[in-house]
Amino acid sequence: MSNDVLIRLENVTKKYGDSDAAAVNNLTLDVHRGEVLVLVGPSGCGKSTTLRLINRLIEPTSGTLYLNGEDVTSMNPSLLRRKIGYVIQQVGLFPHRTIAENIATVPKLLGWDKDKIADRVDELLDLIGMDPETYRGRYPKELSGGQAQRVGVARALAADPDVLLMDEPFGAIDPITRDRLQNEFLRLQQDLKKTIVFVTHDIDEAIKMGNRIAILREQSEIAQLDTPEAILADPADEFVENFLGSGAILKSLTLMKIADTELHQVPVFKAPVMRDKAIETLQDSEDSTSILLDADDKPLRWLDLAALNRTSQPIEKSGRPISVDLQPEDTLQDALTAMLQSSVGLAAVTDRKGKYLGCCTIESLAKLLVEQGAGK
Amino acid sequence: MTTAAITLRRQRTPLAERLDLIVTPVFAGLLALLGFAVWLYSDIDATTSDILSYENISRQLVQTIQLGFASSLLVVIIAVPIGILVSRRGFPRLKTALVDFLGLAQALPAYGLIVIFFTFMGTGLTTVVYALALFSLLPVLRNTIVGLEQVDKSVIDAGRGMGYTRLQVLLNIELPLAVPVIMAGIRTAIVINIGMAALAFLVGGGGLGETINSGLKLNRGPAIFIGAVMVAILAMVFDFLSALAQKYLKPKGI
Amino acid sequence: MDFLLSLWGYTSGRFDQVGQALIEHIAYVVSVVGLASVFAIVVAVATRHNVFARELSLAIASVFLTIPSLALFTIFIPLVGLGFAPSFIALFLYAILPILRNTVTGLDGVDPSVMEAAKGMGLTNSEILLRIQLPLAWPVILAGIRIATMLTVGIAAIATLVAGGGLGDFIKSGLARLPLPNSLEAIWLGTILSLLLAFAIDMALKLVKNVTISRGIR
Repeated sequence: MSNDVLIRLENVTKKYGDSDAAAVNNLTLDVHRGEVLVLVGPSGCGKSTTLRLINRLIEPTSGTLYLNGEDVTSMNPSLLRRKIGYVIQQVGLFPHRTIAENIATVPKLLGWDKDKIADRVDELLDLIGMDPETYRGRYPKELSGGQAQRVGVARALAADPDVLLMDEPFGAIDPITRDRLQNEFLRLQQDLKKTIVFVTHDIDEAIKMGNRIAILREQSEIAQLDTPEAILADPADEFVENFLGSGAILKSLTLMKIADTELHQVPVFKAPVMRDKAIETLQDSEDSTSILLDADDKPLRWLDLAALNRTSQPIEKSGRPISVDLQPEDTLQDALTAMLQSSVGLAAVTDRKGKYLGCCTIESLAKLLVEQGAGK
Repeated sequence: MTTAAITLRRQRTPLAERLDLIVTPVFAGLLALLGFAVWLYSDIDATTSDILSYENISRQLVQTIQLGFASSLLVVIIAVPIGILVSRRGFPRLKTALVDFLGLAQALPAYGLIVIFFTFMGTGLTTVVYALALFSLLPVLRNTIVGLEQVDKSVIDAGRGMGYTRLQVLLNIELPLAVPVIMAGIRTAIVINIGMAALAFLVGGGGLGETINSGLKLNRGPAIFIGAVMVAILAMVFDFLSALAQKYLKPKGI
Repeated sequence: MDFLLSLWGYTSGRFDQVGQALIEHIAYVVSVVGLASVFAIVVAVATRHNVFARELSLAIASVFLTIPSLALFTIFIPLVGLGFAPSFIALFLYAILPILRNTVTGLDGVDPSVMEAAKGMGLTNSEILLRIQLPLAWPVILAGIRIATMLTVGIAAIATLVAGGGLGDFIKSGLARLPLPNSLEAIWLGTILSLLLAFAIDMALKLVKNVTISRGIR
């Protein structure tokens, strides 16, 4: 086994009782060091079971489990689990213990000394964006759903495990908070580079979070295991296609960045604006809308011909305000949303400091999508 | 007094908790005042003061307290471990059958058990202790099982997933979170024990019930009243102490 | 086996005694529970808008249950004399809590949107109480009455140690005459009969439940 493979399930089967039907049937799966592997599939396909086979909360009926090259199928399960972080949907914070005590659980089990534990708790609270002074001594019942799950993640990271298992961790949270938590988590993963096995039933979440996705059928049979781009571009069979749903092409927009496209340049004006000159420039161009920049080159307003002609109003108040701030790192899906919001079919792109760079147009997006579709 | 009555502990809202700790002492105080009033102002003849003599009363008081304590302790030592054992995996059917049975058995009038016991063991203090212990076992056993059952399964799952052994899960998670329910059962048991201890005299066990009985037999109103008042106050004191224990043993954060 | 035979012998020779004891016992139970139900429901209804008054009544009612039955029975004797009265008062006080608590819970548990709708349709407060809240709370209230009844049946036997009458007579005379012949049988007879009575009344109440609760909420 190469050094690259951190977790390996080899020919693992799980059967319950005497039944012939297996919950997991002869599964072989490798998880690479540093990757986020998402297990996704319809309800009842066995993805949670598979996850729990990794930390042996469910014991395999047959097969072998390797962690870092070592056969851990028969070692003391409690000891195994102290090396693996575990995050579940309902979080499962101990209600009778403070946040600090919750986070300190595994380090305490491992025998760390008190000061080291206290430092680590504070470090983690900072990491998840919760002020240690305020939250250390609080109890779980005082937290919101999003905060609780953050603490759940901190608790799983406490002993600095190499592996993190996450079972639909954001499932019980409202969509807005979920989106925020997903983004925070991705940022965290960029810094920490843990090896993560993530279970979800939501294909969009899988595409967003995973370096590789395993789409599972019943009995945890792997229908396709590959990067999100590859799966979206080339679904292995009808099952995968159906699972991806008809939004597959739109979904692929989240995988592309604005930086991957060519920006379009519309006429831009900076104050003070000479109306007649501006009208002439706009009429000569192919575009129907122009942009007003401020002194720092930040885009302020969309100005079309009607707005420029309205002499009764000052230029600074004409047209429509530009409200969304897009950067080259943002995805094309964000760009599409901005374009729809602006109602002029354009999205203004700026650099990190807010300086205008160019525009995304609906046409260029459509062209890109057609190319994607054609490449299939 | 049957357990059916006492197992109806109310929802513990903060107001209810506070009232619980206030009403009982106030009542006990009022009764004590009444008792004193009777002692001072009614006709205490020789027979009555004999019944209410210091030796008699103190002996009976000690007997009642000893009885109540002994049976309560016995109950907790037996019932809680059994409750824990039955709640482990491997006994699910036994557990449900037991809980159902206990629910039914709680409808039994307590004295029935005393009767059964002394049929086989003869009269005396020890018989009553065992009978009471068995009877008050029911709420403690039932509450232990139910208390452990109601612990949030996802908290247990998280605990196991993080690497707690099964024993550690029991000690660190299940038991602390079950304490409120178990304590309620223990409190019930204590009150039952005191209550039945008052009846110990029926089978030669002594206790404050004797004063009441003597008063009845010899038709001395003040003796009856004061005896009854003392039993009532004793019960309320024990209930109050249990309520305090219940409040302060509850883990923070629940 | 011998014991069962002698128990049967003891009983069969005394059917009318047994019958009378049973009737007295039932009379006790029915009158106590009936009165306690009325009282408890009235108190629950009266305090339904005032949280403090409600909690206070519940607290007071539950203190009574802390008092051992022997004490509560006898404490009233100097006031009202021997006989039916002191035990009746005590049993009454005991029976209040289960019914009161359940009525409070039941009234509280009625879906507020149902009451909102009723109010919107023009029903007055008392109409809402009588036509909607109480009927909807009835299953829970009835459950409370069942508990109270079981309680009363059980304790009533102790009551008769004090007052006479009912099944406790057997137990009492048996205890008094130990270890004379027939004493054990007397005790067992009293005990078993009160158990059977408890079951029988419970069954009867189950029937009442099925008859009086609308099918819509069963």
